[in-house]
Amino acid sequence: MTNSNAYNAGTNGMEGQSFIDEFLSKENSVIHSSDAVVLAMMKTEEIDVIIDEMIKPMRVDNPTIAIEDRGGYWWIKATGKIVIDCDEAAEILGKRYTVYDLLVNISTTIGRAMTVGNQFIITTELVGLESAVPTGV
Amino acid sequence: MAGSNTAVKEALKTHPAPSSVSSQEVHKWLQDFTWEFKSNRTKYPTKYNMDNNTREQFKLTAKEYARMESVKEERQYGTLLDGLSRLDAGNKIAPQWGEIMKLVANFLETGEYGAISGSALLWDSAQSPEQKNGYLAQVIDEVRHVNQTAYVNYYFGKHYYDPAGHTNMRQLRAINPLYPGVKRSFGEGFLAGDPVESSINLQLVGEACFTNPLIVSITEWAAANGDEITPTVFLSIETDELRHMANGYQTIVSIVNDPEAMKYLQTDLDNAFWTQHKFLTPFIGAALEYGSKYKVEPWAKSWNRWVYEDWAGIWLGRLAQFGIKSPACLGDAKQDAVWGHHDLMLLAYALWPLTGIRVSLPSTEDMAWFERHYPGWYDHYGKIYEEWKALGFEDPNSGFLGAIWMMQNGHGIFVDHTSSLPFCPTLAKSAVRPSFLESNGKRYAFSEPHGERMWLQEPERYEFVNFFEQFEGRELSELIKSAGGVRSDGKTLMAQPHVNTTGLWTLDDIKNINLTIPDPMKILNWQPTH
Repeated sequence: MTNSNAYNAGTNGMEGQSFIDEFLSKENSVIHSSDAVVLAMMKTEEIDVIIDEMIKPMRVDNPTIAIEDRGGYWWIKATGKIVIDCDEAAEILGKRYTVYDLLVNISTTIGRAMTVGNQFIITTELVGLESAVPTGV
Repeated sequence: MAGSNTAVKEALKTHPAPSSVSSQEVHKWLQDFTWEFKSNRTKYPTKYNMDNNTREQFKLTAKEYARMESVKEERQYGTLLDGLSRLDAGNKIAPQWGEIMKLVANFLETGEYGAISGSALLWDSAQSPEQKNGYLAQVIDEVRHVNQTAYVNYYFGKHYYDPAGHTNMRQLRAINPLYPGVKRSFGEGFLAGDPVESSINLQLVGEACFTNPLIVSITEWAAANGDEITPTVFLSIETDELRHMANGYQTIVSIVNDPEAMKYLQTDLDNAFWTQHKFLTPFIGAALEYGSKYKVEPWAKSWNRWVYEDWAGIWLGRLAQFGIKSPACLGDAKQDAVWGHHDLMLLAYALWPLTGIRVSLPSTEDMAWFERHYPGWYDHYGKIYEEWKALGFEDPNSGFLGAIWMMQNGHGIFVDHTSSLPFCPTLAKSAVRPSFLESNGKRYAFSEPHGERMWLQEPERYEFVNFFEQFEGRELSELIKSAGGVRSDGKTLMAQPHVNTTGLWTLDDIKNINLTIPDPMKILNWQPTH
């Protein structure tokens, strides 16, 4: 089954006039709410390891996670939430690695992104509105 | 001194120091030292009530912020200055891309500069200590970004084989007909008006939406076209943007529970989206598709992914439960996403001597790509470019200029008074529905009803002298010379209508065309009669 979060899923899988017709259709001239989140991570030594050893294995529990190699960065989209535990990353990398080290190489987020303790979280939840912003300590 | 020590001791009694020194605990502790709101005054009051308890999602302290940013700088400049110089990377860039980066980096620099002021006025307006913290870090980020974007032009100026334009694009902004559109969206949009409206323009729309294609996905195009510099610098810039996006979201969180907010919020959001879209949608599309030899995907698909499905769905869609609706202009914005960049590029070709870059008409291969992804492109634009090429578009001895061809064929070029961008009513395929209005004895052109409505509501906000009004009566070569649009020999133009190294146009070639700049608003037979 095709992952609906894949890079060219849905309308973007169409070509030429079919794409334009679908893109400009009445149905697609209003916003549809999405429970997905998106991350772009710069390719670096640490991020490549985090992708291989931490994000890719997350697909066992969350098969909606899509990961794309886009040249200089990794593009990741998932339904719900992605949590990157930097204590776990430090263990895998074999060096001190905090959530602020991770933020050096996170290039964009779509969704509510935050740090909680030594974790980076991006969630579809409207933190501050649907729930409180976690304090982290 | 003794008195101040006592004060510190008293403060520590009230707010004991944390037992550990994890950065997030320090952050929590620091928030206890808050501003005195009763006596807090702001230079930039907002019509919204910003909640004093709003949080900052990244929990920054100065120490962690400074450490994080210094690592970014070491990684970015460390890579570029050494390795790439030895690899001669600057000379392996596809010429079209090296040219378009003269505008992209320079125009973005203006955005970063405007964002310094925009985030500073938000710092001044907000009262929540955490919210102030987030805005303050953004001010410093934006200073960093001004340096980074200028560094891209500096790097190209030093290493790329045609540095003219990378070296002095700031000077040429004065005559570039596209630049007023930059000032409108990045300047006035980011830092003028109500502070919360500025946040919506800058953080919720400009950064959360359009920086994704402008700063992230553009790096894929850069890499495909041999540019080893932009991906590292731009992706590093964007590592700060996600905190700015969170700032924009927390601005909304801070006001959205106040029933009074909904009086303004939808209109401010609609206006901000149209303001940013009006420049960024056609500009990014033109830069990617016409500034590249190797193409990644149609701009309309990038727009669908980054703007419509993800930004609109994940940000605005989720906020629908708080009363946020689809912007009324969304349908027209999508029409622009398909055709707006082709319309803008037609005008850039027509006015090439003023752009400061070397443009090249689409090759046969490019034309096939455009027609495949935008059916109807060839009949509308391709045939014009073929005719222009046959008439001597590239030849300095031809006396041909696209702008004159347009005038002679009844295709007037006007400046939209709200977006400050040029448009051609008779050749546009984007969502152009022109109108010409009069106010206080002066006539104004509008390319569509959304901008016209914004002007009618706040006409004083859109006061500016457009290119044609400013330079009416000036001879074109004389204008280019006075703006510094020539190379070091004092006569060869920086801008060229091709990327070849021979057959370069000079001031004399432009002088032979004998074009005196007209004001189109005074040429009535160009204007629709309705």
